[in-house]
Amino acid sequence: MHSRILYRLTWLALVLSLGHHLDHLIRGNAVGWPVTDEVNAFTASLIVYPIIITGLLLYHAGRVGPGFWALVSGGGAAFVAAVHFGPAAVEPPELILDHYDQPMLGWLAFGWLVVFVSVLAITCLYETRLWASQRQARHVAQPAPDAEAGR
Amino acid sequence: MTATTPPPAAGGRPAVGPRPPVPATAGGVGVGGAVLLVATRIGLWLVVQLGLAGLLLLAGAAAAGQALDEVAGWWLVYAGLVELGTLGVIGWLLRREGGSYRDLLGPPTAAWAVAVGALGVLAATLPAVVFSGELTSAVYGQGAIAPMFAIVDLPPWASVLSVVVVPLLAELAEPVAFLGVVLPRLEQRLGRPWLAATIVVAVWAAEHACFPLLASGGGLDWEFAAYRVGSVLPYLAIWTAAYYALGRRLLPIMAARWVFNCGSALALALGLVQ
Repeated sequence: MHSRILYRLTWLALVLSLGHHLDHLIRGNAVGWPVTDEVNAFTASLIVYPIIITGLLLYHAGRVGPGFWALVSGGGAAFVAAVHFGPAAVEPPELILDHYDQPMLGWLAFGWLVVFVSVLAITCLYETRLWASQRQARHVAQPAPDAEAGR
Repeated sequence: MTATTPPPAAGGRPAVGPRPPVPATAGGVGVGGAVLLVATRIGLWLVVQLGLAGLLLLAGAAAAGQALDEVAGWWLVYAGLVELGTLGVIGWLLRREGGSYRDLLGPPTAAWAVAVGALGVLAATLPAVVFSGELTSAVYGQGAIAPMFAIVDLPPWASVLSVVVVPLLAELAEPVAFLGVVLPRLEQRLGRPWLAATIVVAVWAAEHACFPLLASGGGLDWEFAAYRVGSVLPYLAIWTAAYYALGRRLLPIMAARWVFNCGSALALALGLVQ
């Protein structure tokens, strides 16, 4: 049983992620390998694309469910929030807001990031609820072992 | 509507959540009720603030240009009057159209699920906190306190009210009004949940321009009003999205908002916001 909403949210997060990486490339002040020689948070964040593609294939094949996606979305939200919003953020908002010639572009990029993290967090909430309700439905569908034995 | 788990929609696809019961009159009185509710809230905000400012002027307790700002220092207290008025209208609508207050809160939810959901909503609110903070710095300078908090000036007894009573009233009234009453009526009327949600978030944010009213240069401080709408917009968008994500369950959102608003009032009361 596949959730159309889960697919849509995953594609939305993918587009937002690509847009945010594009923002990194345009600013040029927080990029790493393969654009530069340095391996940093930018490099690590690129792992999300193979994870999403693999996840979509496995989800389509019924090998993973909403629990997997909740981990991906929640992990992504935590990673991006820690890198940009955390107390020890390596790329705080000023790194985005102050590095565009047009302040409006800086706010657009920062707003994009805020929407990106929000979508990841909300998607995680949705997937967690979906996962919990599917588990509950399975428990209801499966008769208790004691009841089976008592027959 | 008693199912804990939302029923799957056609084609086996899980739905976002069961839509709360909307009275059969939702196309007519239903939307009228939503308009009445929003108009009551905005009207009460204006009447209470302008009324109190007028009283200060009549009593000679404040100069003409300062009365609104004097009143604004108490907005965390008189907000309770607006919330009581909101609850009154919600109760009137429920008596007129049928249904119960509990129905407006969404499907039954176990206490642990409310707690987990509230933690999730609080975490999801982080981007809004960051955005609001950056907006405050951009408009009022680095390290500045948002004016609606900077202006609060309460004696101890009123601080207790603002921490203990008003946040509770706010959670019983505000999200229930916008997400439990207005949103389903608009959804039913428009047939497009995304459009209804967008309108609700926009109106909900616009309402924040009405409180607290601040004076500037002999008139209203419109820059603050615009800032207030912009700073609260991401919060309301996230909470509305969370409402859908949690299967139209309001209790986790109310709990998270209570922690957030009560914490803010407590920080102000304890002088932690300087």
